[in-house]
Amino acid sequence: MQRTALAGQLLFVGAVLAGWEAVSQWRWVDPSLLPPFSAVIQILWVFLRDGAFLADLQVTGVEVLTAFVIAAPLAISTGFLLGEKLHWGEVVNPVIHVVLAVPQSIFLPIFILAFGIGFLEKVIFGITHAYFVIVVNTVAAVRAIPAPLVVAARSFGATPVQIYTRIYLPAMLPLVVTGLRLGMIFNIIGVLLAEMYASRHGIGRLIFSWGEAFQIRELLAGILLVSVATIALNEVMRLWEARVGRWRSATLGS
Amino acid sequence: MARHVIEVRGLTKTYSPHRAPVRALDRVSFTVDEGQFVTLVGPSGGGKSTLLLILAGLVESTTGEVWVDGEQVRGPVPEKIGIVFQDATLLPWKTALANVEFPLDLRHVPRGVRRERALALLEMVGLQDFADRYPHELSGGMRQRVAIARGLVQDPRIVLMDEPFGALDEQTRTKMGQELLRIWEKTRKTIFFITHSLTEAIYLSDVVLVMSPRPGRILDVMPVDLPRPRRFEMMGSEAFGQARNRIWKLITEGEG
Repeated sequence: MQRTALAGQLLFVGAVLAGWEAVSQWRWVDPSLLPPFSAVIQILWVFLRDGAFLADLQVTGVEVLTAFVIAAPLAISTGFLLGEKLHWGEVVNPVIHVVLAVPQSIFLPIFILAFGIGFLEKVIFGITHAYFVIVVNTVAAVRAIPAPLVVAARSFGATPVQIYTRIYLPAMLPLVVTGLRLGMIFNIIGVLLAEMYASRHGIGRLIFSWGEAFQIRELLAGILLVSVATIALNEVMRLWEARVGRWRSATLGS
Repeated sequence: MARHVIEVRGLTKTYSPHRAPVRALDRVSFTVDEGQFVTLVGPSGGGKSTLLLILAGLVESTTGEVWVDGEQVRGPVPEKIGIVFQDATLLPWKTALANVEFPLDLRHVPRGVRRERALALLEMVGLQDFADRYPHELSGGMRQRVAIARGLVQDPRIVLMDEPFGALDEQTRTKMGQELLRIWEKTRKTIFFITHSLTEAIYLSDVVLVMSPRPGRILDVMPVDLPRPRRFEMMGSEAFGQARNRIWKLITEGEG
């Protein structure tokens, strides 16, 4: 059943790409507006061996990673405190949920005024994008810890540290990893947005300037590359999520 | 005369959350002898579970003392007291075997030793073939057997059981009761068992403690004069019926 579904999905993607190739090759649409898939792949292949392009890619990659490495522990500790200290959470959690409704992109000009248009601004914009969604998920993870398990562990003589490492950690992990995965997506959105808006480096700036210069072949190659990379990253994190959450879905699902 | 392995003196517990204080236990005193099977029976929502948590050193009483094996309880004493909880409370991310090992694991018992001990206990509860299963792959009765094995794994003198079969269907419940008696006769632990089922209380116990509705008081300490080993048919006997009626009367009168 799962196999058939996967085959169907692959077939669908293949059909879309083949259709794209066909309409462009047979000039049903103007190839300068929609260059064929093969031509896009060709230029992408050239890019991937081009030092300047790879340098831009690296800039973006380092920004995304730096933001994530800073945001994740910061957000997880905030979420943990807000989940664990109930009266803090009572005050702060509703505020976070209200603030989450505001699109962060509108603050970008302020970030630029405050931090310039360099590495720092991109990283901070990425952090603020990732932070809140990880906090919200971590709070939910703390709340999801089954209290009877904690009581049971205490009765077996578990130390406070053991309660954290042996009960809290495994119980929280599935939801925290979900938060991390979503945080990573938001983080990438933040960094790319900041690059496209104002930047000297990065794949986001390249994509934006190709669009402005009407270089559609290059533009599509950039879009394709970023799409494939983010999908791959997301799928890897989903595998991780499924792995640490197997017991959870099995318990809740049955 | 047998030694008192549990001694409870004048326990009172008052919860005072935001509103008016609620008294859960009222001057509860009793003793349990070594090797006895003692059941605490009373209506749901009385102070039964609170009493068990206090015996286990997990909750502090407002007044009164608990002595176990000659020492006053001031916190969890896992080497003396094993506990089997209402909903098995197995760790869902661990296998049956790892769950039984867990209390030993917390105390850094070497892997080989704890594995051997846990396997022996799983065999005793009849689950040797299910050691690698996760809790969600086991039936409710099997989960409680794992929980019983886990309660015994530190080889405690006393096992406290908080309505362990409360969530099971009647058939499974009766079988689990017989199973527990078999284990008890084999291990000779002191068992302190909580239930709201009068039948279960009489069928299993040497002594039944009857508790009133909230605030929980001990209304009566009732020895059960049924021969051992207990058999299913005894539930229909006259002595059994009389014991049942007596407890019922005590509890309903207690409602005032």
